[in-house]
Amino acid sequence: MFYSVKKLLTNALGMDIAGSALAVRPDDTFVVSYPRSGNTWTRFLIANLLHPQEPATFLNIGRFVPDAEVQSSHYMRRIPSPRVIKSHTYFDPRYARVIYVVRDPRDVAPSEYDLLRKYRRIEDSYPLARFIDDFVSGAGSLASAGWGTWGENVASWAFARGARQGFLLLRYEDLKACPKQELARVAEFLKIDASPERLQGVLDRSSADSMREMEKKQDWGSTKNKNKRSDIPFVRTASVGGWTRRLGAESIVKIESAWGHIMAQLGYKTVTSALGNDHRTLLDVLGLPGC
Amino acid sequence: MLRKAIALDAASFTLHNSSGLCEDKSCQSKAGIGNQTIRQYEARNEMIRKLVYGMKLVLGRNAPGNRLKIYEDDVFIVSYPKSGNTWTRFLIANLIYREKHPDFSNINELIPDPEVLAKRILDRLPRPRYIKSHQYFDPRYPRVVYIVRDPRDVVLSEYYFDIKRRAIADDYPLHQFVSRFVRGEVNHSYGTWGENAATWFYARRSDPRFLLVRYEALQSRAMDELGRIASFLGLSADREQLSFTVEQSSADRMRELEKKQAHLWSSTRETRKDKPFVRSAKAGGWKTELPEAGVAAIESAWGGLMREMGYELALLSSVHADSEL
Repeated sequence: MFYSVKKLLTNALGMDIAGSALAVRPDDTFVVSYPRSGNTWTRFLIANLLHPQEPATFLNIGRFVPDAEVQSSHYMRRIPSPRVIKSHTYFDPRYARVIYVVRDPRDVAPSEYDLLRKYRRIEDSYPLARFIDDFVSGAGSLASAGWGTWGENVASWAFARGARQGFLLLRYEDLKACPKQELARVAEFLKIDASPERLQGVLDRSSADSMREMEKKQDWGSTKNKNKRSDIPFVRTASVGGWTRRLGAESIVKIESAWGHIMAQLGYKTVTSALGNDHRTLLDVLGLPGC
Repeated sequence: MLRKAIALDAASFTLHNSSGLCEDKSCQSKAGIGNQTIRQYEARNEMIRKLVYGMKLVLGRNAPGNRLKIYEDDVFIVSYPKSGNTWTRFLIANLIYREKHPDFSNINELIPDPEVLAKRILDRLPRPRYIKSHQYFDPRYPRVVYIVRDPRDVVLSEYYFDIKRRAIADDYPLHQFVSRFVRGEVNHSYGTWGENAATWFYARRSDPRFLLVRYEALQSRAMDELGRIASFLGLSADREQLSFTVEQSSADRMRELEKKQAHLWSSTRETRKDKPFVRSAKAGGWKTELPEAGVAAIESAWGGLMREMGYELALLSSVHADSEL
């Protein structure tokens, strides 16, 4: 009862977190991904594309590409159209324009493990192998997460929207390997006419090195996470394939047996099975340029 | 006071609903309402709706919908609308609550719909709860029976249902309705047919907590399919129980019940009496009733997914349909 009265009041004052109750506009563009898949990097790229006169930082990124799960309904309402909004949600049919970033789950898992330690959600003594169980089942240390498992999040978006208009699939690995080409796809999707020089400028301003430097100076998200550890960075290795060194065989098998069919569709070669060998994959169908 | 407020809420809901469905200009001018007036109505209704919802919230009388508190032993009966959800609810209710004689007067309490039933009742139901839903993928749902039906039949069923509930006129052009259906404008809060089916199918297909049931299989092999559902739910049911359940939930019996009880059930209460809710209950009606352009529109929108789910395409070659995935 107390809870509902409190909710009623925050709602009436527009102080409620927008979240899933966000009033979506038809011209909104959403930058969606499972956490730790390159969402913040993509936000920086987009912010630097849209605002060449003011380089993106950790201090202004919440203004350039706001997070509806952090901001109040009142704040979100006041942003003029067209908005570009960050999200980690699983499929939402109201999102008409979506840039979806996907990353190899075997790299996502160790990254998420490190982040949860940074935010003191788990201890250093919590074994990575046990975290992988949580990661695959969505239980344990991830039980309160509202974005579904990696497989649920990715599959619900990639297969429901696939090659449809208003949906752009980006692979983190392609962004790393051929950033200029992928950024040009983003610019085209956002209807921004950008010269190669401008694209290069955007990439420089959003590089992992420059983001690492900014992270050191700019106390990001300090209001929400006063208690976070400074010995684990938010901008981590920003690399591809680290899982081969970090994950044990058992963990790799667990991830691949849960989501091998989805991974194969997205071009992530599984090492425990030879799924999807002779079949056309989602990647083939989408005709992503590759590198 | 509260009863009055709820009545007002119902009135405003109907008004809001009908103005939402009144899309084309001819329809609006026929009603003789200008845009300005509609907007004023909507603003006022929105405010009243919020106030009423707030009061209900405080008293636990609100239907929680998406905000339903979910328990880990909950079972969700999920489908896109007009895909055999009510039939499956009857089957499961007759299997589990035989002694309560499931019919339209109590189905909402036996297999509740969180968009209709009040929070305080939902919170107190015996566990495990069996809950009806039309939602697209929701990762919080622990166990899910998903019923899928050929979208070419779904669109016809929805068309007749929308006539019954006065959302469209008797002479509303079917081809226009199909276009709106494909664009997701008919049931927008549940996504398009393809979004609803694909999100569940691809996110959960290899999950042991997910059971896919095809409406067509339920039609042709009711006993077998019900047996599969029963074992998924961990219920032991012998042949006698299964056949009793299938009989109790037959289209004929449900039609008889509907005749007597339409006024007792939320989905039929305020709809036209001259049109049935339980309609043909057949598979493949689209072959004779759906114009070729409608078939083409649906197959080009969802052909790849349809094939994946076992529906043979009538017009498109497989190569063509694949482009959508």
